[in-house]
Parts: sequence; structure tokens; C-alpha cells
Amino acid sequence: MFTLHGTGVGFGIAIGTARLIRRLGQEVPEYSIQNEQADAEIKRLTKGIHTATECLKAYYEDIRRESTDEVHAILDAHLLMMQDPVLLEQSALIIRERLVNAEFALQVHCNDLQEIFQNIDDPYMRSKSDEISQVIGRIQDELLGQRAGHSSLEGIQEGEIIVTHDLMPADTIEFKKYRVGAFLTNLGGPISHTAILARSMRIPAIVGLHEGIRYLKSGDTLVVDGKRGVVLVDPDTAALDVYERRAAKIQRAKKELESIKYKPAISLDGQTVQLNANIEFAEELSQSLASSASGIGLYRTESLYMNRQEFPDEQEQFEVYSALLYSTKLPITIRTLDLGADKQVDGGRKNMSLATNPALGRRAIRLCLHDLTLFKPQLRALFRASVHGNLKIMIPMISDQAELDQVFIVLNEIRQELTQENLPFKPDIPVGGMIEVPAAAVTADIFAKRLDFLSIGTNDLIQYTLAIDRIDDEVNYLYDPLHPAILRLIKLVIDAGKNADIPISMCGEMAGDVECTRILLALGLREFSMDSAVISEIKQRVRGTDINEIEQIVIDLLSSNDPDHYRGLIERINRLSNNENPSIT
Amino acid sequence: MRLELDIQIINKLGLHTRAAAKLVKLCSQFDSSIEISNHKRRANGKSMMSVMMLAASQGTKLKIVVEGKDAGEASRQISDLFESRFEESE
Repeated sequence: MFTLHGTGVGFGIAIGTARLIRRLGQEVPEYSIQNEQADAEIKRLTKGIHTATECLKAYYEDIRRESTDEVHAILDAHLLMMQDPVLLEQSALIIRERLVNAEFALQVHCNDLQEIFQNIDDPYMRSKSDEISQVIGRIQDELLGQRAGHSSLEGIQEGEIIVTHDLMPADTIEFKKYRVGAFLTNLGGPISHTAILARSMRIPAIVGLHEGIRYLKSGDTLVVDGKRGVVLVDPDTAALDVYERRAAKIQRAKKELESIKYKPAISLDGQTVQLNANIEFAEELSQSLASSASGIGLYRTESLYMNRQEFPDEQEQFEVYSALLYSTKLPITIRTLDLGADKQVDGGRKNMSLATNPALGRRAIRLCLHDLTLFKPQLRALFRASVHGNLKIMIPMISDQAELDQVFIVLNEIRQELTQENLPFKPDIPVGGMIEVPAAAVTADIFAKRLDFLSIGTNDLIQYTLAIDRIDDEVNYLYDPLHPAILRLIKLVIDAGKNADIPISMCGEMAGDVECTRILLALGLREFSMDSAVISEIKQRVRGTDINEIEQIVIDLLSSNDPDHYRGLIERINRLSNNENPSIT
Repeated sequence: MRLELDIQIINKLGLHTRAAAKLVKLCSQFDSSIEISNHKRRANGKSMMSVMMLAASQGTKLKIVVEGKDAGEASRQISDLFESRFEESE
């Protein structure tokens, strides 16, 4: 037995056998052919394309019923690319002129296409170059399979653990079909395609193994612990036993949650609660909708700005936001740039000096108002994209009315500019603020009068209120979402919303913490936004809660002066029978 | 027969994947050769990858040259498709 370590993503534990897979980016064999072999080689290419097309069509038929329109569109496009007459024509020409094998001719043509696509201005189309590689890769796999006698994905057994260099975006579709147990990859981080795929499939994955997979071979018994980022290779019986029991327990809980997925989030006393999803990448949208989220309560735009040299311009952002808004009728709350503090940009802004205390420094809306060249393109992109769907704009870290004045001035400028330029936008986009600074929570009544909605960002609110840096090991034991000061601030914000008749939501981690759900419901919160992975769990808690019954206990809680009594009340709230009322369906 | 069409893209998302797929499927039904060009690139209307390379967004002007015996019917159906915004709700 030995272990490998990487970044654990996804869910739970998988136990199964390893399956090593050759993927794109690996060497395609190149060899010369004789002049008189060219016709036969072109025939082999034609046949390869034909078989690959038939396989893709069969697969398409297979999943047609259970997949979304979005997946249909991708597959449809892939089929057309595969049958593209120019692809065959050009590759055949390369075979004839350069006297090389079909796989390599495809690679030459693919490289040409890549170069063209890399130079396309439109970022959406540019990103399609990955899909072209995948389509051509399928044909190459088919051709190589004919030679080696098997195709790489054929015969994957349910529950097998896929071991590969890296996954590509379109693998999403492929692997779902096989119900694999887990993914292990050399490349990738917590926000890579593999991570997103694993989360959406609710399976564990370990990415960033850094060549660790070279120690694995197909058929090895593996235990994958997605939470800890550990792979046990050929585990001994004792370890296997422990992990089998843990995996079974996770499985039971998962089944239970699965059963309420399509049921509404209604409390025992009949109150409806909105459970939204937080997302960081547009790709996560479909997964959130599949988790029956009632909308996107927080789309973080920072990922658009990170890991690159130049900031995205208005047009690029416009396209990203448009595509996102276009794909659903549900409301999507997009938060304007929240850079600074723990989210520093690594490229580009060399003159952005690191403050000694970045959490209290020029970040989020402060940074945006300081540098309008950063803020305005994003707002213009959002306004222009607003016509494509149900957009709400959220301003992070607002703390002062003067800041809000400035934001409104900028928004008005943009409305005027766009009107003059004859560019369409929705005139009534709701604009809200994120309440995460204690000063804003205390004056929430004033903000509530000037904004269309408020959303409580608990991560920073707790950190600022309790003066606790959550990543500081020496003090983080004091980080407590249920601290009376936090509950009182939350109540202030919710009450301010009620008085001003505007919606209040919560998008911090507390919203997805099942230990806090009942208390928040009793405080009057009816809109929660969280990682889509925990929506079912929170829904289960909502459906098992009689809000009326808890309200009085929470009033006692807010005025309790004895810490033991306080803890006792919280325990009592969370212990109350949470049997769902069977009449609610 | 050779026909030339000047078309401006009016749908919001332009020739994105779904629209391109519809266009290519339509073009492939005809015997005529169909060439679509913007200011910098020319594409075979029956080739998905070349149509994608046009990366034509809303407002882009395209020239479409249809040549062959069913050119009339082909041009009519192609301009209908653009006009109907690729039959997508916006």
C-alpha cells in the first residue's frame, strides 16, 4: 500500500479499479507511406471518420432523452464538425502531398485550425478550438483503435476510476455516460474542468497529482478520498474496511437527499423559501439548475480577471454575461468585481501595491470607484447584456452612503452613454448591495431605501465584526457564525428589508450551513444562496422546520445573557423533530 | 445559375454554434456550392468549422455566393433562416 497526494475536489469517497486513459495532447504517431498507398490511406481516413461519426451518433441517441438542450447543441455541432467536408478534403490533401499516415495528417490539419482559431477576436469562438481538437481526437482515437484493436473509452466499467493526464471540457458529456467512480489527473486545480465535472457528477476527484499517475496502472485497486486529496493504492484490508464503511454512510445520505431534489423548499408551516446557487464560472450554471436552484444568487466575476495578463475588455465580458443570461429565464445576480484582500490578481496590474492589511484596504467597490477604467467596462457590459435575461447587479462591500452616490453617478453616466450610442439595455435592472461591513449592517435601513435588494455576505461580515482572520490558525476558533453579535446584525438587515419592502438574501457560507438554517429562517430570511452541492441538504432542513415554532426561541436567544443557556437554545432549535410532513410534496 | 446575397446578421448572438449548425445543415441539403464571406475570411457553407471561423456577430455583413442548379431555392431558404433569427427565441 502507498498513497498519492493532490488537490481533492468533488464529493465523498470512491473505491474501485484504476483505468488509465490516453487523452489529447499525447503523441500521435507519424510515419511515411508510399505513393501508391495514398489512396488506401485516404480510404482508411474516410472509414475512420465514418465509424467515429456512427459512434457519436449512437451515443447521442443514447443520452438524448436525459440531457439538456445545451448538451444537444454541443453534440449536434460536434457531429457536423466531424462530417465537415473540408476536414476530409484537407486531410486527404496532406496525405497525398506529404505521404504521411491519416492520424498525422489530421493532426497537421488540426494544428492549422488551432492557429486560425487562436487568432479569432471573438472569445466565444476562440474557445471552440478545444472542441475541434476533441472532435479530431475522436477520429484519431478511432483510427488508432483500429490499429491497436480497441478504442480508449470503450468497455469502461461503472465505478472505475479514470486516471489521465488532464480532462477537456467536452469530456463532461462523455464520462457522464459511463458513471465512473472518480477522476485522478496530473494537471488541474480546484477550479479546473475536472473539478467542475466531478462536482456536477457528485463524485470525488483528485487533481494536480503532478505526474503521480505514472505510479498507477490499469487494474490497481484505489481508494480516492476527495475531501482529503489522498489516493490509497492497493490498500490493506484494515484501511479498505474503514473506507468502505465511510463510503456506505455517504451513499445512504446521498440517496436520501436525491429523493427531495424536485420537491419544493417549503417549511412545515407552509412558508416558501428560495434556494439559489452561488457560481464562479458560467459552466456551473447547468449544474446549479440541475440541483433545482431557483436562480443564481451570486455570480462572482473575479475568475474572469484572474490568471491572465490583461483584464477582460467590455466586449469579452459582454459575451460571457450575455451567454449566461441567455441560457436561463431564472434571475441571475452578478456581483461586480470584488478584487483585493484574499483575491489578488496575479497578472497585469503591477502598480497595485499590496496593502499591509488588505482586508481593510482598497478592495471591491473601493478599488472600482478608484479606478473607473476597471469598473466602467464591466458595468457597460452588464447593462448591454441585460437584454438577454433576468439580470440583477450587486455591488460588493458597500459601507458608506457617499460610495453609493458615486455608484449611482457612474450608473447614470453609463445609461446616458449607451443611449447615445444606441445600444440596447434594460432600463430597470435591479441594483443591490452586499452587506458585509458591520457599518452597512447597522445602517441597513438607509441602504434599503436606496437599493433594490440587499444580500448579506456573511464571510466578511463575521470576520469584520468579530475581528477574526479566518485563515489565521491561532484565532480562527473564535470564528462563529452564531455569535449573538452576528445574529443581531443579520436581524437588523432583514428587518430593514421588511420595512423598505425589498428582498433580502444571504450569500455567504452561513447560508449553506445546515446548523444555521433554522435560526436564519426564524430571523425572517427567505432567500438563501449557496454552493449548489448543498442545496438539497438545506432544502431537507427547510422542509423539516416549523418556522413558527422556532420564532419564539430565537427571540429568547437574541436576549440571552448566559453563554450556556445560549448554546442550549441553539442545540434545542437544531434538535427539534425534523421529520418532514408527508403531506408536503 | 449564380446568385449573390448580401445579408446582415440580425439575431443577438450572431453565428454562434447553434446558429452555425442550422446554417450548415441547410446548406448541405443543396447541390449548389455555397460560399459565405465576411470582410476577412471566406467559408464553405457546408463546412461547420469554416463557418465557425467567420465568428460573425450581430451586425456583421456577409456576402453569400450560391452557384448551381438549385441556387434559387437555396438562396431563398438561406435568407429566410437569417431573417427568422435562426428560429431561436431571443
